[in-house]
Amino acid sequence: MDEVVATAKYETPQVQTKEAPTFLQIVKKTARHILLILFSVITAFPFLWMLVSAIKTTDEIWKFPPSFWPAEPQWQNFIEAWNSAPFGLYMFNSLFTATAIVLFQIFSAAMMAYALTQFRFKGQKFLFASILAIYMLPAASTYVPSYVILSKLNMLDSYQGMIISNAVSVFGIFFIRQAFMQVPKEMVEAAKVDGASHWTILWKVLLPMTKSSFLTFSLISFVQMFNNYLWPSLILKSQDKYLITMGLRQFFIEGGAYGIKWPLVMAANVFAVVPLLLLFFVAQKWFIKGINDRGVKG
Amino acid sequence: MVTSKYKQFLTISLFMLPALILLLVFWFIPMIVSLFISFTDWDYISPTFSLVGLENYSSLLTDKEFYKVLVNTLVFAVFTVLPTMAIGLALALTLNKKIAGSTFYKAIIFSPWVTPMVAVSIVWSWIFQPEVGILNFLLSSVGLPKIDWLGSSTWAMPAVIMVTVWKGIGWVMIFYLEALQRVPADLYESAAIDGAAKWRRFRYVTLPMISPTTFFLLIITTIDALQAYDQIQVLTQGGPAGSTRTLLYMYYQLAFEQFNMGQATAVSTLLVLITALLSVIQFWASKRWVHY
Repeated sequence: MDEVVATAKYETPQVQTKEAPTFLQIVKKTARHILLILFSVITAFPFLWMLVSAIKTTDEIWKFPPSFWPAEPQWQNFIEAWNSAPFGLYMFNSLFTATAIVLFQIFSAAMMAYALTQFRFKGQKFLFASILAIYMLPAASTYVPSYVILSKLNMLDSYQGMIISNAVSVFGIFFIRQAFMQVPKEMVEAAKVDGASHWTILWKVLLPMTKSSFLTFSLISFVQMFNNYLWPSLILKSQDKYLITMGLRQFFIEGGAYGIKWPLVMAANVFAVVPLLLLFFVAQKWFIKGINDRGVKG
Repeated sequence: MVTSKYKQFLTISLFMLPALILLLVFWFIPMIVSLFISFTDWDYISPTFSLVGLENYSSLLTDKEFYKVLVNTLVFAVFTVLPTMAIGLALALTLNKKIAGSTFYKAIIFSPWVTPMVAVSIVWSWIFQPEVGILNFLLSSVGLPKIDWLGSSTWAMPAVIMVTVWKGIGWVMIFYLEALQRVPADLYESAAIDGAAKWRRFRYVTLPMISPTTFFLLIITTIDALQAYDQIQVLTQGGPAGSTRTLLYMYYQLAFEQFNMGQATAVSTLLVLITALLSVIQFWASKRWVHY
């Protein structure tokens, strides 16, 4: 069969690509799969290792050479880890602040994007250029004064402080502005003729037409806020305000450094990592859209 | 007419107000204040401070430790950015052809990007564990000596780099894939498809076509590398012996461990200047370079 195909190909090279694959093509394809499988394994390995380490006993985790699968999976490690520190509270703090922040960011970004795309006014270019300028700059360079400002507002160590100091997203303004510029002018004009106010046009015309951009932005920003560590660790000081990232590090220092509770430390990591991985696998295409539409920083 | 103009002004202002206030309070004003603090000797605790001119900068620039930090930052940036870009591009090229399971591969390789750096760094610190860690097990199983990854000033930096590259490859890959898909197909068809021609096609067609993307990614991932903190904090806290102390980590230590706000903000000003320079280069280049 292969021979026949090969001969046919030799005679009509112009249809080469439409024929059944040659031996060389199969080899190449296999090589590509091997490369991709290799990288997938390397990428996924730390996650797998986290999972299997979480269900080992302390004795087993310290064995050398290490075993891959535990002799007897210690599923109760998850319960024990969950009860060794207020992880429920940490999770709540992260989910609550991240959700509130995303809502505020959507509001402030959509309003600003509306002003930037639907009006012409003096200083508009300057304003946009200024926002553009801070887009790339390291947020950390604002931390000392922002810390002082928050303390003056009496908002250190509070949800309010965490939320308000993150309530504007420069990336969000760009992303939503970009989306609004894609909406045909006629749609907005038609709504105006119907007597719609700017407020109505923004939320009832533009928002529904750019839903996917809003969704993408929400997902990416949510993940970034959930994973946020440096700034929250500066402003949230009491343990009952800790975000999950801060709680994990705290647990790691207490339990991991002396090697006593490594399986529990790994189990605790599972709480933070697995929900995000699931969210990503469900909503993959929206994340990827965010990168393809430009601008999401690594 | 006047009232309608006034009304228009009011409407625009109201729409801009939420973002504008927040931008002013948490971005613009802090940036300026930070610059101002860098000319003072403020220690956060005392209510007074005095202006010291450029002293914070000159003491930084004459401090040997600062140059060590600068070199660390450079090493971290270069050895994070180059492998991330090269591997990301290689994977994108592999995935750019029709291949079964490409969505699955893409998802797996991208997935670390969504996970918290703090959590995955903790996992990696277990992988790096010197006596029983899986990485040293792999090394010893091929006859290599065990390495005290996070405890040696030689290997701590490569370890931090490894984690950073692992987390960033997927992002670069997705970005490159999109760029490759925008390379016009007819440019390919005009080229012959034998082995040697394939390399030439890559070298003279694909590579130049995606060069604006390469440049964009180069700048963005460098800026990102300059801001790395979480993995350093979890894995090494800047150690051992300052071997993983980068500019941003030094800033954190000066400001929030030593409360030397003047010197800390001087470091942050330098960081801003470096980042601004890189952004300006990117902005300037993107105006002169067509993106495909």
